[in-house]
Amino acid sequence: MERADRDGLLLRLRGVVGDRYAFADPYEVRLYQYDASPETALPDIVVIPGTAKEVAQVVKICAEARVPITARSAASSLAGGTVPVEGGVVITFARMDSILEIDIDNLRAVVQPGVVNLSLSQALKPHGYYYVPDPSSQGACTIGGNVGTNAGGPHTLLYGVTVNHVTGLEIALPSGELVQVGGRNAAEAIGYDLTGLLVGSEGTLGVVTRVWVKIQPLPPVQKTLLAVYPDVATASNAVSAIVGTGILPAAIEMMDKLSIQAIEAASHAGYPLDAGAVLLLEVDGTPAVAEELGERMAKVCRENGASEVRVARNEAERQALWKGRKGAFSAMGRLSSDFYVMDGVVPRTKLPETLAKIDAISARTGFKICNVFHAGDGNLHPLVLFDAFEPGQYETVLRIGDEILKLCADAGGSVTGEHGIGLEKRENIRYVFSDDDLEVMDRIRRVFDPHGLMNPGKVFPGKGLKPSALRLPPGHLPRAAAALGAKDDLWV
Amino acid sequence: MGVKARTEVLPGQQISVEQQQRLSVDGLLPSKIMRPVDAEDAARGLRVCDLTPAAVVVWGGGTQMRLGSVPRRYDVAFSTDAMTRLLEYEPADLTCRVEAGMPLKDLQAALRAHGQRLPLDPPHPERATVGGMLAANANGLSRARYGTVRDWVIGIAVAYPSGKVARAGGKVVKNVAGYDLMKLHVGALGTLGVLAEANFKVQAIPEAAATVLGHFEAPMPAIDAAIRLAHQYLAPSASIVLNRDALWACGMTADWRWTLALKLEGYGREVEAARDLAIRFVREAGGRVEGQDIPAAFWDAARDWSAPDGDIVLLRAITPLQAMQPVVDQLPADASVIAQPASGLIDLRLAPSATAGVLERLRAAAGGEGQVVVLAAPPSVKPAIDVWGPPPPGFPIMRALKQALDPNGILNPGRFVGGI
Repeated sequence: MERADRDGLLLRLRGVVGDRYAFADPYEVRLYQYDASPETALPDIVVIPGTAKEVAQVVKICAEARVPITARSAASSLAGGTVPVEGGVVITFARMDSILEIDIDNLRAVVQPGVVNLSLSQALKPHGYYYVPDPSSQGACTIGGNVGTNAGGPHTLLYGVTVNHVTGLEIALPSGELVQVGGRNAAEAIGYDLTGLLVGSEGTLGVVTRVWVKIQPLPPVQKTLLAVYPDVATASNAVSAIVGTGILPAAIEMMDKLSIQAIEAASHAGYPLDAGAVLLLEVDGTPAVAEELGERMAKVCRENGASEVRVARNEAERQALWKGRKGAFSAMGRLSSDFYVMDGVVPRTKLPETLAKIDAISARTGFKICNVFHAGDGNLHPLVLFDAFEPGQYETVLRIGDEILKLCADAGGSVTGEHGIGLEKRENIRYVFSDDDLEVMDRIRRVFDPHGLMNPGKVFPGKGLKPSALRLPPGHLPRAAAALGAKDDLWV
Repeated sequence: MGVKARTEVLPGQQISVEQQQRLSVDGLLPSKIMRPVDAEDAARGLRVCDLTPAAVVVWGGGTQMRLGSVPRRYDVAFSTDAMTRLLEYEPADLTCRVEAGMPLKDLQAALRAHGQRLPLDPPHPERATVGGMLAANANGLSRARYGTVRDWVIGIAVAYPSGKVARAGGKVVKNVAGYDLMKLHVGALGTLGVLAEANFKVQAIPEAAATVLGHFEAPMPAIDAAIRLAHQYLAPSASIVLNRDALWACGMTADWRWTLALKLEGYGREVEAARDLAIRFVREAGGRVEGQDIPAAFWDAARDWSAPDGDIVLLRAITPLQAMQPVVDQLPADASVIAQPASGLIDLRLAPSATAGVLERLRAAAGGEGQVVVLAAPPSVKPAIDVWGPPPPGFPIMRALKQALDPNGILNPGRFVGGI
């Protein structure tokens, strides 16, 4: 953006949010150039609005000036979803982080987009309720971001992902309007389900300023088991066996040998170091039911090759088992200076062959690949370990990622289960959608955003995209944990 | 070119007078019928209609054809009855892919053979098709626990007037690639494209099931008991409150004024615990639990009740859970009523002559967050009433979406919200 244009725009935006909450100083905006992906690009201006009305005015001013808008909160996107790749204005929700209403009577909560996922469940806990989707980054990621990516998490196997738990949205459109779609009702709103369309649209259709979510009663008991296997193939087959019994656990997570080693080094979760793979399983229920289901699952695990099944005897043991899983990505630092996270999905039955193929890629290329993932729904998270200081490694890793996503697509799966297409996979989306498919989606995008200003450069394959405004030198790839100042409870 | 001439140049079959009558919509008759054999064929057919242009009404099993405003035009009956295949089903993945014209009952039979089901139970599954269920967002009573159509569709193939087939979603249970167009098409009443295929996630049939009936003198204690149960971890999979008329219509001869019927499903011990809890809550709300023989067809009859044939009008009030009382207070004494308190729904059957007045009173009672829609009505009533109620906020976007996907307005013109 030309300096004169930028200064003029900044002045107008300051008129909306106040001098303090709009800035363009190169040093200050630098913090907003990245998210948890390796991609970076500098915004021209950063705005921190305090109200939905301010957001709407900011969006309107930007739209009139034909300046790109990228919304972000925690910026924990692993797919570059919040990197302002075409520059312009970044709107961040640091000040819009209030839980507006906890409405137990109607089984709803109303929140601002900047509310941290975990803090909503913490606020609900004293009432005996929770908000189900629980991305492993839930200590940092926000509901607004969750809406953008239709975020998942381990416990979405049984209860569904973000879109299944959102009943209404308020959005700011480029026209400057604030529109409420859906709302508090349990039943569907009249007309097209715009709420459902907007969830997962990665900020390309509008800027979310308020969210109505479902809340549900906490399960009386959560029974957590750790099943130990000689290898991932046996563990994968056990997953199919469990599902075949008709019991659908609340969560089925898998970690392979390398991941176990990293996790044990970092968090001492108590996973056996000599295991080829472990499954972390959880069932919900009343005490008697959870007990019974736990026993039934333990039996199935043993009958399908588990050398050992441990059951958490109390909440502390349960938390320890989960701590290992939820801290798995951060723990990779114990194995490697850098890693690249994938997010592919395959049909559950294709897990063994897909994992074998990923293993073959690892052997062929010499790059170690860890697997920590949501086995129950076939959502893989291969982590490719590398050293960004070594010239050429990052480029090779990107090619490996590409190959893995192609594998997933060819197996009848998808190139993203919960992280979103973002910037990272906008070319990979072609593995699952034809030009005709994308053309329909693009028409829909243009209804909301005729000038292509809402989070441009994301979701759709690149059309003359500008290269990143700034790429950090090798060895300085931002790592989300550091970027967010978070500890060890991040991601996925 | 005149109206008649337009349809004469259309390919597709001429139809008999008898077929015309069978495929009439709100008293309008089609002049042609198209019966595509797959998604590509459907898109080719739509392209021809778009070029003509000819107004298309999509037909599945016809169980929801009384929903919506009177079409502005109707030239071509676009039937999915030649698209009935189960394309893929992998029980171990808990997913399947089917053509839109498949009757739901046939899909459920295929799933049941593997101990699985789609936990959606719209009215008249023997006739209702998968595509019709999606387009009309037709849900049954189990929505309280299992959600609605939108929660179970994981992929679609849609034929558009452009002549193209475009897909969204996929075959896996977790997938965020691209826009979630499943949500856009579910409940769009075929106004944005013709659903040709749908992919679903499915579930294992619960190990155990039970029904509890509570007897109440007044509706609100029954509704409150149902809402209280909806707040429990052991919430019923269906909870309905019926007045005497509706109870009789569902094959029960008991002479109770208001009945709370609860369907409990799950693992064996879970259902036992849920049953104890349900009985306790009914009693605490002042209801009586009667050892009544429940006819096997009771739940099916209650499910089908909301899609009546003939001259009956069916209204549905939608409110937040705690805002049902004002609507209940305005229910006419002679209406037949089934409420689904856990979903904030009250359905009532009326005689056509009473419709306009009741609709107005209920809309006033439903308040700012509530809505009242006409789910079924004979053509004699429709011109005098507003079937959908006032267009919702965001309506300009809806109209623009329609314009983007169906620029010539050939799909179900005039039947949807706000004249879309």
